[in-house]
Amino acid sequence: MTVTDTAIRESPVQGLDASKLAGQLERLAAELGIRRWDLGAACSTDTSVQVDRGEPKQLKGAQRSSITVRVWNADGLVGITSTSDLSAAGLARALAGAQEASAYGNADDTPTFSPLATAPLETLDQPLREPVGILSLLATLQEAERDLLSRHVAISTVPYNGLAQRSSERIYLNSDGACRQQRLSTASLYLYARAEEAGRKPRSSGAVRLAYGAGLLDVAGCIDEAAERTISHLDYAPIDTGRYPCVFSPEAFLDLIGAFSSLFNARSVLDGVSLSQRESIGEQLAVPFLSIHDNGLHPGNIGASSFDGEGTPVHRLALVDGGVLKHFLHSEATARAFGVAPTGHAGLGAKVSVGTNWLEIGPGDSAGGASGLDRHKADGVVWIESLSALHAGVKASQGSFSLPFDGWLIQGGEARSIEAATVAGDIRAVLKGLIGFEGPAKITPDGLCPHVWVEGLSITGDA
Amino acid sequence: MVASLPLPVVSLDPFDLSWRPRLEAVLSAGCAAGATLVEVFLESTDHIGLLAEQDRITNVSPAFGKGAGIRVFRGERDGFVSTNDLSKRGLLTALEQALGMLGLEPCSAGRGGFEGLAHLRDHAAAKAGWLAACPGLGDATARLLEGTALLECHGQHLQARRGSYARDWQEVMVAASDGTFARDIRLHQSVGLNALVADGEHRASQGRRYGSTDRPDDLLHWDAEASATELCASARAMLHADYVEAGSYPVVLANRFGGVIFHEACGHLLETTQVERGTTPFADQVGSPIAHGAVTAIDEGLSTGAFGSLSMDDEGMEPQRNVLIENGILKRFLSDRAGELRTGHARTGSGRRQSHAFAAASRMRNTFIAAGPHSPADLIGSVERGLYCKSMGGGSVGPTGQFNFAVEEGYLIENGQLGKPVKGATLIGEAKEVLPRISMCANDLELAAGFCGSVSGSIFVTVGQPHIKVDAITVGGR
Repeated sequence: MTVTDTAIRESPVQGLDASKLAGQLERLAAELGIRRWDLGAACSTDTSVQVDRGEPKQLKGAQRSSITVRVWNADGLVGITSTSDLSAAGLARALAGAQEASAYGNADDTPTFSPLATAPLETLDQPLREPVGILSLLATLQEAERDLLSRHVAISTVPYNGLAQRSSERIYLNSDGACRQQRLSTASLYLYARAEEAGRKPRSSGAVRLAYGAGLLDVAGCIDEAAERTISHLDYAPIDTGRYPCVFSPEAFLDLIGAFSSLFNARSVLDGVSLSQRESIGEQLAVPFLSIHDNGLHPGNIGASSFDGEGTPVHRLALVDGGVLKHFLHSEATARAFGVAPTGHAGLGAKVSVGTNWLEIGPGDSAGGASGLDRHKADGVVWIESLSALHAGVKASQGSFSLPFDGWLIQGGEARSIEAATVAGDIRAVLKGLIGFEGPAKITPDGLCPHVWVEGLSITGDA
Repeated sequence: MVASLPLPVVSLDPFDLSWRPRLEAVLSAGCAAGATLVEVFLESTDHIGLLAEQDRITNVSPAFGKGAGIRVFRGERDGFVSTNDLSKRGLLTALEQALGMLGLEPCSAGRGGFEGLAHLRDHAAAKAGWLAACPGLGDATARLLEGTALLECHGQHLQARRGSYARDWQEVMVAASDGTFARDIRLHQSVGLNALVADGEHRASQGRRYGSTDRPDDLLHWDAEASATELCASARAMLHADYVEAGSYPVVLANRFGGVIFHEACGHLLETTQVERGTTPFADQVGSPIAHGAVTAIDEGLSTGAFGSLSMDDEGMEPQRNVLIENGILKRFLSDRAGELRTGHARTGSGRRQSHAFAAASRMRNTFIAAGPHSPADLIGSVERGLYCKSMGGGSVGPTGQFNFAVEEGYLIENGQLGKPVKGATLIGEAKEVLPRISMCANDLELAAGFCGSVSGSIFVTVGQPHIKVDAITVGGR
């Protein structure tokens, strides 16, 4: 049999016709007496592969579509409905559902259209790549797995691996004529290896890469990093429980700040579940040499969006500058409540969620902090490579965290993997306890950050 | 108060016998192309989510959808494609893509040995009226507001009060080329309360969630008073609690949601997906002791009203009651269709998935440690200095089997008595090391509803246990 590798490639995203969708919505809304509406729609085609010791494990494809419609009733109250059915019948049902839900809209906090929903957008440099055939993906991943397994005799499997690509499109429309549309292609590769030496516990680590297409992925870099990290944890030892200066990797510090992003979230502030209050703007939140910006438009942000769920343009926003809290992240509704402009961080809903896009962390324009920090010459320092279980170990509304981590104890400049441990602390103390930054900032999937040194944190080990 | 409208029930065409020709055409085409097994999973969903904050309803989120997942096997290999297009053409296009993944091409002639679908096993017939029988928006919102008002009534230092409700209705049809033809309707409802309390620099947040399956009017019978009372007592205790001192202690874990540790630390390691990956230390341990003799553990999908109960799994198989560990001896693994094919462990009715967008995998349902002979007081009384975990938060297990769990409400045990409350505790360990240390089980088994995220998405499960004592475990703290 001749094997062809075109099955998925011949079925690209069907595409969203924005003007047709707008026309349909307009007609259906008129029939239901709905005069004000907006919607977010998305569709995508995905293919992905996983392998297990040379054999294909799971090959997957998916065509997805979804739409969320939001309507305002005669009393000005908002209701929404979401559906995966983009047919005319599906749209009609969604509008009717949203209209029914609007009877329970919150009169105290009603969103409206973003005043920036028709403002000019930044042009993003995002090359659109045609998807490659799934058998090509498979061959690439099989080769990557083979290469990784060959790097060390102790690496016996790569139990978590995947190579995926996506072609997607999203739209925002509203009854005032706003029309946003974006097409995107992305690809991802992850390799998590498991290594075990006789009489020792199994160890695991890995790496991830993102790109605008499968052919652009840094496969070799991902293999190198996964191998290096996994091998570096083979020689491990327990750590004594106590307080240690800690060096967070860029990925770990970005995870930590991201888990406490309610500090910067106007929705959380208004809901009373943030550590910040309305009047916190202008307060010294951190050491004077720390700056945090949200910049969804950074070229390193693979898959960046130029507009948020309400159609507001995304732009770079200073959250912390010189250690001082400068701005909150806003939707239209929270911005109106604070008397500022929306910032491009909203979802779409009756109660609109707010979230970060992509963080830049570093010294910014500020000077200060210890200089010449070098973890490779340190003594008695814990180097935290990655944090786990953030969903369970972070109490964002309380400020505390207690998280398992992978990392090394550095003694006399020698790093030795830590068998098992957790790091615990308070985010406010961390932000005010930064010692300094080490090395250049690194681009990661979640943002840009250098290695970050922090004063003594509680480490619990198994020793 | 707004009048009690019915929830926006969406009229989606039901999956009935009229689907047989379309499904048989897809299965025939797959077999004719050389597939050794083809399976089609059809799904229709209707969801509503409600949120109350303080004394207001702040979000009503209806959602509905439909889709199909088509899985094709060629020997032990499989390809899976999902689509929202349920037309015959849409299903055949998805099938072609799945065949292409395995190097197979559509073939117009023959049925490839497919002999047609069996008689429909219709578990849904008696459930057709469930969706309409669920509480209307007026009743549902009123119950949530009752809950947040009760928090105000019983709480102190309240900064934020929340109530949430979710109703998930799902109709599924499973058809496979081995003749499997089955239909079911599932109904899951959950209601939760959360409170954030603050007093100066002291803060504490507590939450409780209750869930049921197959009981349309369950929200109307929810004991909001008891939920709010328990939650406020917990928040009050934890508000001024000190941080726990890190170290290794004997620990007594309370019943109900305490079972999340067994679920995460051991249950996942007894799924055949872990055997396939080579990530379970128990792969060749059937018949061997892996836990203390005090431990018997069960997974089943049968308990009436429990969150993880099913009339059939997502591969059309009726659920079973499976003893996983009996008196410390490993008895069996949980297996799905692919697990049986690749590991030899017989299917257990455990093939589950979040939605049509996921291929089924071996997953837990209602999983619990069986009751023992002791009273909870016996367990606490046996500890000279340790930790009592009254309420557990979430946790996770890593690729090497190491687990970690947050303790939401904890108390020191001193000289066999409960002492002061402590916060910030995380339990850390490995299943292989901890299972032999579960030395005592009490006689107060209770179950609790939860959600489990894993290879085939987020699914409804039940965890459970009686009070249990672990002789030593690492406690992360300050």
